[in-house]
Amino acid sequence: MEKNLNSVERMTASTEPAIAIRNLHKRFDDVSAVSDVNISVPAGAFLVLVGPSGCGKSTLLRMLAGLEPPSDGEIAFGGKVVSNGKAGVIHSAASRDAGMVFQSYALWPHKTVEGNIDWPLKVAGWSRKDRARRIEEVLEFLDISALRSRYPAEMSGGQQQRVAIARTIGPQPKILLLDEPLSNLDAKLRVDMRSELMRIHRATKATSVYVTHDQVEAMTMATHVAVLRGGRVEQFGSPDELLMKPQTTFVATFLGTPAGNVIPVQAVGDQLCHDGTALAPALMAEGHGKAQLLYRAQDITVGRQDGVPVMQATYAESSPIAGQTMITCMVGDLRITAMVDGFFRAVAGETIEISFLRAPDAVFDENGDRISK
Amino acid sequence: MNMLAARAPWLARAVQSRDFVPLIMLAFTALLVVAPLTMILLATLTPDGQAAWQAVTNSPLSRNLWWRPLGNTVILGIGVTIGSVLLGGFLAWLIVLTDVPMRRFLAVMSILPFMTPSFASALAWATLFRNERIGGQAGYLASNGIPIPDWLAWGLVPTLIVLIAQFYSLAYTLIAASLSSVSGDLVESAEMAGAKRGRILFGIVLPIVTPALISGGMLAFAGAVSNFAAPALLGAPVRMQTLSTRIYGMVQTGNIERGYVLALLLMIAAAALLYFSDRFVSGRRAFVTVTGKGTRTKRFALGRWRWPLFVFATAIGVITTIVPIVVLFASSMAPRPGVLFSNWTLHYWIGQGGTQIAEGQAGIFRNPHLIDGIFTTIRLGLTVAACAMVVGLMIAYTIVRYKASPYTRLLSQLSFVPLFIPSIAMAAAYIAMYGTSLGPIPALYGTFILIVMAATANLMPYAVQSGRGVLSQLSADLEESARLTGAGPMRRMMEIIVPLAIRGIMAGGLLVFVKIVRDLSLVVLLFSASTPLLSMIAFQYASQGFMQFANAVTLLILVLCLLASFLAHLLQNKVQKWKKT
Repeated sequence: MEKNLNSVERMTASTEPAIAIRNLHKRFDDVSAVSDVNISVPAGAFLVLVGPSGCGKSTLLRMLAGLEPPSDGEIAFGGKVVSNGKAGVIHSAASRDAGMVFQSYALWPHKTVEGNIDWPLKVAGWSRKDRARRIEEVLEFLDISALRSRYPAEMSGGQQQRVAIARTIGPQPKILLLDEPLSNLDAKLRVDMRSELMRIHRATKATSVYVTHDQVEAMTMATHVAVLRGGRVEQFGSPDELLMKPQTTFVATFLGTPAGNVIPVQAVGDQLCHDGTALAPALMAEGHGKAQLLYRAQDITVGRQDGVPVMQATYAESSPIAGQTMITCMVGDLRITAMVDGFFRAVAGETIEISFLRAPDAVFDENGDRISK
Repeated sequence: MNMLAARAPWLARAVQSRDFVPLIMLAFTALLVVAPLTMILLATLTPDGQAAWQAVTNSPLSRNLWWRPLGNTVILGIGVTIGSVLLGGFLAWLIVLTDVPMRRFLAVMSILPFMTPSFASALAWATLFRNERIGGQAGYLASNGIPIPDWLAWGLVPTLIVLIAQFYSLAYTLIAASLSSVSGDLVESAEMAGAKRGRILFGIVLPIVTPALISGGMLAFAGAVSNFAAPALLGAPVRMQTLSTRIYGMVQTGNIERGYVLALLLMIAAAALLYFSDRFVSGRRAFVTVTGKGTRTKRFALGRWRWPLFVFATAIGVITTIVPIVVLFASSMAPRPGVLFSNWTLHYWIGQGGTQIAEGQAGIFRNPHLIDGIFTTIRLGLTVAACAMVVGLMIAYTIVRYKASPYTRLLSQLSFVPLFIPSIAMAAAYIAMYGTSLGPIPALYGTFILIVMAATANLMPYAVQSGRGVLSQLSADLEESARLTGAGPMRRMMEIIVPLAIRGIMAGGLLVFVKIVRDLSLVVLLFSASTPLLSMIAFQYASQGFMQFANAVTLLILVLCLLASFLAHLLQNKVQKWKKT
């Protein structure tokens, strides 16, 4: 993890980072929601906070917004400390030059689309002329001019989403915070909105922080990804870095489509074996008696191949992906994903053989931490 | 049905038509609501009735019969509306939107006044503030040398205060429910936009809850205008009349047509005002707050105002609920109103008659009417609760099930008409309809069944509303999935529908029970010696100046109401238990 932090710091060393989070903690009574988070990103970055529900990502975002004070540590925007553990919220939510898109959209139900976009500008003291011009701009930009006099209750979820974004970018915030903005949309719309959000990011150049539990969103949109688990940053880096060099088994099995396979092994003689099948030389475990091996789905195939390790497995399901088929099978309690060319179907419960085509991509110790290779 | 189809095809077709059930229910509702209203109108078109119209609207008497009572009624209505919305709105804001300490406690305190009958607070007021103006014993304060001016002892001001003390909790309930639907995200997004507290309150929160403010005010207005107990006890002794006390006076003194005319005018006045404010509400948008997550409310920090505001809110609750109960209790035990808290005696409860105290009156439990009254009151409460819930469920079911029929819309509108009819006017209409024998129907005046019918009609909107609540817990899926398991209709009824609905029905019925047990304005006209009711006994004691006896009987009613409310509360929590999981 340290190593990755260094690489990011190199990336951002040129100027003050747009967002710097240092040793940040948040405790609710006795429960620790966020612990010792260190993240910094340069201006214009698209930072995605990803993790399973309850990992502290929304709490982290609310601290960035100034809606929650941290218990310890500090947050700085462009070198200026906006919150810290001692003073709490130093610069209020309003004075951070940050906008937030809520998961619920939080559109004011008594205001029309125009009214919703107008109000923050009015509060910020814009002149009537500037407001009218800006409203036209964002309506146009999000392609919702036709909806201008609708009330929130009269629109579909996707339309409400666009209005929520329009309202947030209206005052031209330097920092854009997004709390699972796509989670209430259907699958098709979600993919469309994803590219729409990236277009908005490119156009506004606002440094964005995006919270999601969907790793696909993280991998497709982010310049920087922080994988959170139990309130801690499991790994922080670029999407490629996280995919290529996962530092823990959690990251390896959380990211990627399909996610990587992690197989527990034991050193037997000079081999690492899973349930009697030798998979890799024991040297790779660097002296650990027990270890876990990472295999990408594309490194495992169905059918016996000569000269590589082979295991018996129970076929569970398959789904075709772009001319290949992704197969899920069970080895004991272990779920393994493999790829074959062309179409493949079998009867659920049937015994098949799987072959491990290449050496493991990474080796982790018993606790799930990477053993440097 | 097949036999019927063979013998009388037209009848079979009628029964199977989608309009059949709605029409039957419509006829039933018409009998309960429309017929009495028609009859009271017809009664005023007779020669006697026309003379009464003349006397009330266009004669030297009309100033005293109509204009001044109307003025007082309107002042009370508007005053109570403003007072209730301000007080209830303040408490709702404090409890829902701020970090005031002990919110749950304050919330319970704020709904309690709704459970207490208005004559309880009116009697408590009189016990404390009565002065010597109309003779009889003076109240606690005057007896202890604190001079009470007439305006504070009698008339408009105390009536206004007593009614606000009851109706603010109604406004509170509606406004608090609306405020807690304002999601924290809405407030936080305003905060992110840079708005300050006041701007968020006036720009975002208030506009969203405006419909609730208006409907809270409407209900307070309707309640105040039709209230009988408070003006009768605090105003009538000094000849401050409202329309409801005037109607009562006219019917009591045999000027029954004048009573009818006044009742009609009161209905028109109340309906007109309520109709226009309703139009105002529905003209606005009902803001459905659209949220993905559950609503989490954002609480403002009050800072150093936390405790002072807590004390203030607690004081409101204590003064409007605890103090009246304590005063009633102490007064029912104290030998004289001037000495409330010493020399307590049980005389007013169980004392023998013919002694020095209380002009020889015996304690209430020695009054044969009272024992009778307790049972009659409970019997009336239970009967009306059962009738109202059955009628409410049937109408609600018809409205939901037969949406397609054009008669259903009419039925649904008709069932809400009693909301616009002050209960004393409804009682007058029932006298007009059933006071004398009408074809096959014998004269029902003074009978138990007439009170049951009038009360059922009066509470119909409420019953239909809670019937709809019960039905909404019974989605068609539930019954259909039971049917797919092969369970027969009886079994589905007993094991799926009844268990799902019974608690909601019980809770709704218990609240009807409370409303009837503490009611005075409906029964005051329909009551007779053969139907002694606790609220009437208390009223009679009070009118004769026997405050301690009235207070003791009122305490009995309070205990009945609180027990039933408590039971309903328990049941309601049980109803919601499975909703949470």
